[in-house]
Order: sequence, then C-alpha cells, then structure tokens
Amino acid sequence: MTGRRLHPFTLLAIAGALPALAWILPAPAGGACTAAVALVLTASRGLRRGLWPAVLTAAPFWVFLRLLHDVPTTIAIGLRITTMVASFVWLAATLAPDRLVEATVARGWSVTAAYLFAATITAVPMLRGRARRIVEAQRCRGLSPRGSLGNRLRALRALALPLVLSALHDVDERALALETRGMVSGARRTPLAPPPDSAVERAARWALLVACVAALIWRLK
Amino acid sequence: MKSLTLERVSFWYPATEAPALRDVSLDVSQGEIVALVGAVGAGASTVLLAAGDLAPRLTGGRIVGTVSRRERSAIVLPTPWTQVSGLAFTVWDEVAFGPANLGWPTHEIARQVDRALEHLELGPLATRDPATLSGGELQRVIIAATLAMDSGLVLFDEPAAELDAEGARKLWRLIRVLAKEGKAVLLATSALDALPDVADRLVWLEDGAVRAVGTPELLADVAACDAGLGTSVATVWGASGLPGPYPLTVAHAVRRWR
Repeated sequence: MTGRRLHPFTLLAIAGALPALAWILPAPAGGACTAAVALVLTASRGLRRGLWPAVLTAAPFWVFLRLLHDVPTTIAIGLRITTMVASFVWLAATLAPDRLVEATVARGWSVTAAYLFAATITAVPMLRGRARRIVEAQRCRGLSPRGSLGNRLRALRALALPLVLSALHDVDERALALETRGMVSGARRTPLAPPPDSAVERAARWALLVACVAALIWRLK
Repeated sequence: MKSLTLERVSFWYPATEAPALRDVSLDVSQGEIVALVGAVGAGASTVLLAAGDLAPRLTGGRIVGTVSRRERSAIVLPTPWTQVSGLAFTVWDEVAFGPANLGWPTHEIARQVDRALEHLELGPLATRDPATLSGGELQRVIIAATLAMDSGLVLFDEPAAELDAEGARKLWRLIRVLAKEGKAVLLATSALDALPDVADRLVWLEDGAVRAVGTPELLADVAACDAGLGTSVATVWGASGLPGPYPLTVAHAVRRWR
C-alpha cells in the first residue's frame, strides 16, 4: 500500500498515530511494531524516496543515544524516534500538498493553516534541489566539496550561506506573491477538486484515534 | 476615472535611514498604461509594492503620504519561480489558485482560467506540471494567473525579464489589450524600446523621486539618453552626433532621413 490515493486526513492520521503509539505502548515491543510498520510504509514509496532517507535520518539518533545511554534504553528510544522519522518521511513522500489544501478547504477550515503545513512538507525536497544547484554553481567556481576536513568545511560554508540567504529571499517574495494571489487570512477558498472521503476511511481514522486513547488509558492504569 | 493615486509618498525600508521613495506622486486611470523607468535602485519596484498595498504591510518599513486604490490590484513580480503556489501540479490549477482563493464559484473560475490561458497561448501546456516549465513558460503562467483574477489594477515588475523576443512582443500586445478592456496598468520595465508602442505615459524615477512625467517621447530626450534611459534609436542618434531632436523609434528616424 503506497497510500497515494488515501484521503489526506487518513494519511495524517496514520502518520500521527504511529509515533503516538510508539511512545505510549511499552518498549521495546511497542516501538518495534510501530517502527516496523512505519519502515514498511516508507519502503512502499521506494528505496531512494522512502526507506533510505528514513534510515539515514534516524541513524545519527541511534549513535547519539548509544553514546548517552545503555543498550536497552537506546533500543527503546531509538525505535520510537525511528517510528517518528519514518512516519514523517512516508508522509512527505505520499501526501500531495494540493490535495491536503483541497481537503482542508472542503472541510471549511483555514486555507492559510493548511498552506503552512503543506509548505513544511514540501520544504525539504525544495531545499535539497536548491542545495544541489548551489553545489553545482560553487563547483563551477572551483570549490571542491571533497578532500580534507578543512576543504569540506569550507565547502559546507559556501553551501550553507547562499542556501539560507536565498531561501529567506524566496520566502519574502513568495509571501508577496501569495498575498497578491488572494492567499490572505480569513479567505474563503473555493475547493476545486476535493478528494473523496469514504465512510471506510472516516471509520479508520476514528479507529486510530480510539486505539491511541485506549492505549494511553491502558498504560496509565 | 483614477484607479490608483499616490500623493507625496515617501517610503523607508526597515532598518534604513535613506528613503527608497521621496515625495512620489502619480496616478493611473482606467484604461491607461503608465510606465516607470529609471536606473537600478531608482525605486520603480518599490512604487509597485506601495501601489499594490504590499509595502509597508508585508515588507515592513514606514510610509508617509497617501496611496488610494479604487480597484483590487494584482502584481506580477520579475522572478516567476518564487510566485508559483507550490500547491498545483498542473498549469490549469496554478492559474486557478488565485481565483479559488477569492471564493468565486467554480464555473466563474473555469471561465477566467480558460480565458487567461487563451490570452497567453498556454492551452497546450494546461496539463503540464509547473515544475517542468522553462523560465519563460513559467512567467507566462504567472501572468495568466494574475489576469485570471480579473483585477482592475494590474502591476507589472519587469514582466518580460524571462521572455524571449517573440514572447515579449506578445506580452506588450496583451498589455495593450488589457488597457482596452479598461484595466489600469502600472509597469516597471527596462525594455525601453517597447515603451513607445505600449505606454500612454512615462514616469522617470531617479533616486526614489520623480524626475519627469510625460509621454513616451521622453525617451528621446537628451537628458534621458544621457542617463541611459533613451530608446536605442535615440541613443545611437545622439551618440553619432546627429542634430536633435532625437528620433524615438526607427520609423521616426526614417522620417527624419527623408
């Protein structure tokens, strides 16, 4: 299941319920189950788009946890963090921002709040693409991102500064452009193609919520 | 009827002491095209931001003077890739983004979007992903998206910057069509050679202040040519040491030779 055709709220519910359950259910079994489900979901989006980014993002957390904690604690917290990371990577690879905005608008909620969330989801791939272009431009100007540690640090600075400055500049211009295209607080946007929301999906979302609440009550007893 | 009036407007960007605009007064009527010309940093883009109610509301800073608008305004900025919504996976949806935000009924949105796409000859690209378009194509999409909002006051900041020569010629024709439809157009551009056929009036900005206001003939003025704001024909004529008054266009020059 890639989740591509699921209603955006269902995707959000899954991506929210998995980390919640990972932290509520007893470790390490609970975290292992949720991490396994989350990793299977990310793998369904492909190795390069899903699984590898999730694993590579989660790996440093495991290293730091091991430096700070014993093995059982590392496993317990590591599995929970892996669930969080994998759920977000799956969501970012699966959720189409336009469908989320349409679903939110169709529900009568604020379009600006939906846009903020959708923009957060799309920020990572956009920044990655921009970073790639900056690296190419800096290479053309003779900067090598390979070699000694000093070389790499210089290359990192030459990447980070233009990346941050250009991103800030773009945010400025984008805010102007969105404003002039009617994206203002309190706007009542017309939904153009709201994604279908079946009774089964609505029931599944409620089931996920009930499962989280039930698990919490069970753990607090 | 005046669609836009700026009266003695001065504007300071945040954390700056020198004003970006100094006592600027201008107006644009319905059906009129007013072009802002000036060197880089003269304040043309800032005038557009103030006219579009974006400065200081979004940019921050401080404004003195009065800006009055009788119409809803729309602005086309020079960099198309920062103006895409990021929420549309087809050109049609991108163009519909603004009208949908205005809460129009879907049939009206469809009508305006189709009309704007036709104006910009974007029909064949309607189903393309905006992320796959060239800079010029994307600029045409953004212009279409602006037109689809059917604003009475349209502000253009270097709209031809990403377009090829033919694309720019079509854009200038389109801007004339917009004026014929009754829209007020305020335009900042460095494409000076296009202005004699496009603009009704010119406002020459220098260091944030209005230096002169007039017809496009201003671009054949000796002082404008000396400031690098003459048309190519006028500039070449002057540089050749030929006697004034300088011709504005090739057609004028031919008449002078005969």
